Amino acid sequence: MSALVGLAVLLTATVALGVFLRWRQNRPRRHIPHEIVQPERLGADGLGEIATLLQFSTELCARCPGVHRTLSAVAAAHDGVRHLDIDLTHRPDIARHFHVLQTPTTLILDRNGAVQTRFGGAPNRDVLELELARLTSETATHV
Amino acid sequence: MSDAPARGIDPRGPRFAAGITSALLLVDVLLGLTGLSTARADAVWFAYQPLAEATFVPGAAEWAIGYASLAQRALDPAFLLLFVIALLFLWGVLSPRTAPWGVLYRKAVQPRLSPPTELEDPRPPRFAQGVGLVVTAIGLALHLAGVPWALPVAAAMAFVAAFLNAVFGLCLGCQLYLLLQRMGLVGRERAAA
Repeated sequence: MSALVGLAVLLTATVALGVFLRWRQNRPRRHIPHEIVQPERLGADGLGEIATLLQFSTELCARCPGVHRTLSAVAAAHDGVRHLDIDLTHRPDIARHFHVLQTPTTLILDRNGAVQTRFGGAPNRDVLELELARLTSETATHV
Repeated sequence: MSDAPARGIDPRGPRFAAGITSALLLVDVLLGLTGLSTARADAVWFAYQPLAEATFVPGAAEWAIGYASLAQRALDPAFLLLFVIALLFLWGVLSPRTAPWGVLYRKAVQPRLSPPTELEDPRPPRFAQGVGLVVTAIGLALHLAGVPWALPVAAAMAFVAAFLNAVFGLCLGCQLYLLLQRMGLVGRERAAA
């Protein structure tokens, strides 16, 4: 009897963990250091004029290719938005610098290259659009 | 085997396999919770398992597994099932194309589904099989060494990972990669070419 209770607890806890992890990866984190990212240090030649979607991946990341497609599509649909995908498999120095503990991790940079938003996991396209719209309107008011 | 090697695998295959694996692991947790690894060394247990060298201390919270012989530990049903699961993980690491659940998926399930909208890199699920193998192997070794609760705890950890993969599409094993890399266990920095 107590074994069945144990199983029920295990199942409930696992489902709760899954729901929590799925909820958390769609939550943009904004209270983060707004560090200025220099694209040259990541091996890229430049950033987007309005915003940059900076994705961190590894070779052994099952969800990174899907996120790559989503971010590319979002970047293609907006003028001035660029998508950069950095492979961390052989670059633990970059992973350490940005405190990346899971892939995919996505940073949204503003037009100055400052980190504005961070997503851990596979973000939903609507949530990304909302963050970009926020950045675009801020850019418009500053100009 | 006549067709050209595919550029990727159907991502639903590993999730189907993870579903079967998580069901097996859940059964194993149940066997572990009712079997030798969590049994107390009380009079009832010794009535069924008389041991010459056993010294029974009344009232002491001792675990039965401490008194069991190596053969008894190895013949515990929970141990045997987890051993089979670990062998399946090993198969998935060594030869993912021929692993039983993957073959079952391609032969019986995939023909009934619409073709996959996207293909996936086969390396992440293979890495995750390796993580499952390590977790279950540690549980098996500790059980043989006479550690109580090691078996159901290891099975439960593997269950959580397999269930999250099957139901939510989350791959904990894959997410662990950067943590393992930070600890210096995998993926050393490639020397500058």
